[in-house]
Amino acid sequence: MEVNPSSSDGKPVTTRFHSRLCEQRPLSAKAFELILSRPPGFDFKAGQRLRLQYAGTERDYSLASTPQSKTLRLCIRHFEQGLVSPRLARLKAGAPLWFTGPLGYFTYRPSSRPAILVATGTGIAPFYAICRTHTFRFCLLHGATAPEHLYYETFFRQQAQPYVPCISKPRTRLPAGAFSGYVTHYLERHLAPGRYDFYLAGHEEMISDVTLLVDDRFSGSQVYAEIFY
Amino acid sequence: MSVMKIYTRSGDRGKTSLFSGERVEKHHLRVETYGDADELNSVIGVVIAYLPDANKKIREELSVIQTNLLQIGAWLATTPQADVQSALAEITDDMVTGLEQAIDRLEARLTPLKNFILPGGHPSSAFAHVARTVCRRTERRVVQLALQEETSKTQSPLKTIQAYLNRLSDYLFVLARYCNKIHNHQDVLWK
Repeated sequence: MEVNPSSSDGKPVTTRFHSRLCEQRPLSAKAFELILSRPPGFDFKAGQRLRLQYAGTERDYSLASTPQSKTLRLCIRHFEQGLVSPRLARLKAGAPLWFTGPLGYFTYRPSSRPAILVATGTGIAPFYAICRTHTFRFCLLHGATAPEHLYYETFFRQQAQPYVPCISKPRTRLPAGAFSGYVTHYLERHLAPGRYDFYLAGHEEMISDVTLLVDDRFSGSQVYAEIFY
Repeated sequence: MSVMKIYTRSGDRGKTSLFSGERVEKHHLRVETYGDADELNSVIGVVIAYLPDANKKIREELSVIQTNLLQIGAWLATTPQADVQSALAEITDDMVTGLEQAIDRLEARLTPLKNFILPGGHPSSAFAHVARTVCRRTERRVVQLALQEETSKTQSPLKTIQAYLNRLSDYLFVLARYCNKIHNHQDVLWK
């Protein structure tokens, strides 16, 4: 661990951690997991992210692991034309990696209101951390273009009450209990009026659409959001 | 990959999200208050831009103040008793004391005032006066917010923020005079 130069008020600007790749696991044709060794002194809250420094640039990835975990699990979308993700996808076990963090405030905030979790794509990662760390009742709307992109589905089917896969472009048979359409359509049609805690993680269009829907139909609710590419 | 987007479109219909998660109208007192703190921060940025590079100490001092104002903005964007308050950097009495020491240090280099002065002179001084008045407006909003929330606890973060802004406007007044002095501008006295 090394500490970067101090700011003018004497506080460290950021702490840089050194880690190694333990394993790389495919999640689908569009996403994969990196399992990193956890450097000493790196503490975080479930739902926070780290800033990976790689290929001369930086990328923020939410941690899918719990704060008690011995390794760090990242859930990464594979952009074929991207600068970083194709190279990360080719990394072999043992490769050195550097990152800073933890970052962000997308963490669980206990309340008496029902929790509605909405995820699209790799936005499911912070929920995988939060829902294995905290015990609370939640409904999960899991948006994906196709069933093969419902990452961590098995876990959430057991934990969420209810778990609703929302498949926006169904080409094959829908999974059990799935809704054909966008998460916003499900909310419009099936969520009873009331005050909720909405946790949104995923594409910016989903976040803006759901937030505007909350303003219109679920006034008095709380909205916590993390935008993902 | 998570990203920090400049625009999200979720504010297009006149509402915004507080740091503590509530959706409120954009003219909500809390939004007006952290908006004023943001404006103050921006004007201080202009003051820094007009300061000579040689004045490293003051530039650094103002940079710390800008950081503190961001922390204050986060507090102002959070409703009382919100769980997320625990994630915020504390606003401490030491920050107020730091300003008092900076005021004393600058004042020691200035001739004592016997008249009111007219804001102006070198651009760095003129903008320090603008910052001072925006600071006073921010302070008035914080007082209003504290009253609205019936914050009676003397240890409330809003009370410390109030004290910090009160002292900061004094600092900006002294800084405005100091900026004129280092640029060889005379203060314009009110006659």
